[in-house]
Amino acid sequence: MRSSKTLAGTAILTLTLAMAACGGGDDSGGGKSINVLIAANTQYPQEQQAWQKSIAEQFRTQTGADVKWETFASANDELTKIQTSVVSGSGPDVYAVGTTFTPTAYSTKAFVTLGDEQWKQVGGKEKFIPSALGISGPDEQNQIGIPWVGRPFVMVYNTELLKAAGIDKPATTWDELTEQAKKLTTGDQHGLAVAYKDNFDPWKFIWGMSAQAGNPIVDGKTARIQDPAVQKAYQTYFGWLATDKVVDPAAVGWTNSQAIAAFAEGKTGYMALTSALATKALDAGAVKGKWQFALLPTVPPGATSRPANGVEAASILSGDNLLVADYSKNKDLAFQFVRLITDEPAQLEIYKQLGQLPSNAAAAQSLQSDPKLKVVVEAQQKSVATPFSGAWADVQLALTNAVVQSIPDLSKGSISTATIDGRLADAQKKAQSALDRAK
Amino acid sequence: MRQRPLWLLAPGGALMILVILLPLGLAGWISTIDLDQYTLRRWVQAPFIGLGNYTESLGSGLLHSIWISVSFAVLSTLATIPIGIAAALVTQNAYRGRALVRAVFLIPYVLPSFVVATVWRTMLQPDGVVNNWLGADGSLWLSGPRSYWALILVEIWAAWPFIYLMALAALQSVDHEVHEASAVDGATWWPKLTRVVLPYLRGPVLLACLLATLNHINNFTLPFVLFGAPAPDDVNVMPMLVYVTSFQSLRFGLSAAMAVVSLIIIAIPLFAYLRAVRLDVHEEGGRR
Repeated sequence: MRSSKTLAGTAILTLTLAMAACGGGDDSGGGKSINVLIAANTQYPQEQQAWQKSIAEQFRTQTGADVKWETFASANDELTKIQTSVVSGSGPDVYAVGTTFTPTAYSTKAFVTLGDEQWKQVGGKEKFIPSALGISGPDEQNQIGIPWVGRPFVMVYNTELLKAAGIDKPATTWDELTEQAKKLTTGDQHGLAVAYKDNFDPWKFIWGMSAQAGNPIVDGKTARIQDPAVQKAYQTYFGWLATDKVVDPAAVGWTNSQAIAAFAEGKTGYMALTSALATKALDAGAVKGKWQFALLPTVPPGATSRPANGVEAASILSGDNLLVADYSKNKDLAFQFVRLITDEPAQLEIYKQLGQLPSNAAAAQSLQSDPKLKVVVEAQQKSVATPFSGAWADVQLALTNAVVQSIPDLSKGSISTATIDGRLADAQKKAQSALDRAK
Repeated sequence: MRQRPLWLLAPGGALMILVILLPLGLAGWISTIDLDQYTLRRWVQAPFIGLGNYTESLGSGLLHSIWISVSFAVLSTLATIPIGIAAALVTQNAYRGRALVRAVFLIPYVLPSFVVATVWRTMLQPDGVVNNWLGADGSLWLSGPRSYWALILVEIWAAWPFIYLMALAALQSVDHEVHEASAVDGATWWPKLTRVVLPYLRGPVLLACLLATLNHINNFTLPFVLFGAPAPDDVNVMPMLVYVTSFQSLRFGLSAAMAVVSLIIIAIPLFAYLRAVRLDVHEEGGRR
């Protein structure tokens, strides 16, 4: 009896201590430190660790404070982390979040809005590529995101196959791309690799084609999915497989990495949506030495030139922004850290180690000399931000869902306009209801 | 009657309150407020909207998802019972290599769901191994109506060893005398199996059915890895719907309401099942 009481007492004590430890503050013991949350780089894990170590050392030399890194494996992990931190008011001081997620993060109002003082702390707005600031906030006065790295989307093409088909330069309009893909499709060779089953790729095509045709899909608080430009975009996107037959029928099951792998086998003319991060995978395949990046077409389908209200969207504005948490007790340190990793040397270092493109204008300029990268840097400069709305996550989900549900029809080889219209009506409804809720 | 020391239940009771009742109450409360990314930071002040989330959840495909979840779970359970029992019978009597067979039977159960789903996802590609075997090139398993059957197939593959384990445990507990008595009475294997052995399995297998069905209903990893999000409508099971609502649309209130509705809808037949099959061991022991 006595021993069990002691046991119970010990258990309660342990529990209390554990809870105290959980609720305990930061900075316990020693000098100051900041917590930084970034995505785990599964492609280059060792390089990422080396980079983290090097940055942490530089930061300690500069400020005497330590950097504690936290990484997340997927967007969900990140979101969960943000949610719990937002609710509890404690967690990382600096977050690196994807560009398209920045509007959602903004809508939680849990991050520091950048005033003149903060911009000065990070080294001034002027040090960044202007286009990279496109998704930092809803307007100039309400920015929360400091551009960190870019991952613009480009096409990759097989130089040998294009040459053999008598194509001397890659397509610059979507119609031209379709035409070239038709020429490239013979026997077991396909013109185009498209990841129809990817959870993110589809909406990027649809948004890009629509924006080029003058419809950014979200117009203030109105969704414009039931629109001829969007319909044409879906028809083109589905048409490659269903009617033009320039895509391998197996592509209805492909994610982006599967499409890259298919292209890397050397039997495909173009892979339509990739980024500089694919370099390693491409060089490991049969296409080594036979591939080139090219800008995605910027003239909407069915047109030979871009309409007056269309935008030259070569890519969605893609990459990571840095956000400083509102609850942070170390904001000054956090901004010093942000300055460090957005200055030219660190930006060149992360490119060298991890292949992430700089958002720092001077660093980007110095990469222009690499002919392979020239196109990618250009794509970054011609990137256009997706609409800045807390509802955007739902809009892109609705756009992707229209593709997910159409795959069976697509696979059968025909998808009627009526079917597409039905899916668009559904997507419109969902997107509009999300926009109606946006605050 | 002597005063029973009920206070001894206090630690367990406190844990129950902390681990089950509090979160349940919290879920109930969240389901009545408009909690989303806009109100998350000041979640205590999120506007109260009563049954608003409930009415919205019924209009946003929840019933369809519950139907898919329940039918998928029941079919998977029904299919795994004969497989599990047969496997248990096969490994009941000692023979050379039985230990190996038993170990092999457990492989699907030991593999993490993520691994199972990734491997099957690769095999079920339009140009994958499964279509090659079937000679059905280009058939879609991961999209469209057939995805529902793909989900059931993979679930059966991964889940039957659970029934097998439960049935095997029950078989092991059959008294030796029972086998002897049926041998003395001259019972051949079939009557012995159906009249003597299987009745012994009833309780454990019925319990296994219950647990298995609940596991199927709650399985999120498998459909998520197999089909991705957004999922095809044919396999938009409840956990997927709740996940997308919570973590892609960020509608925490709405998803809590969905979870509560699902809980109620599933709890009713469960309750009826428990009453009907009477898993109470003491009662059964008494009848025996």
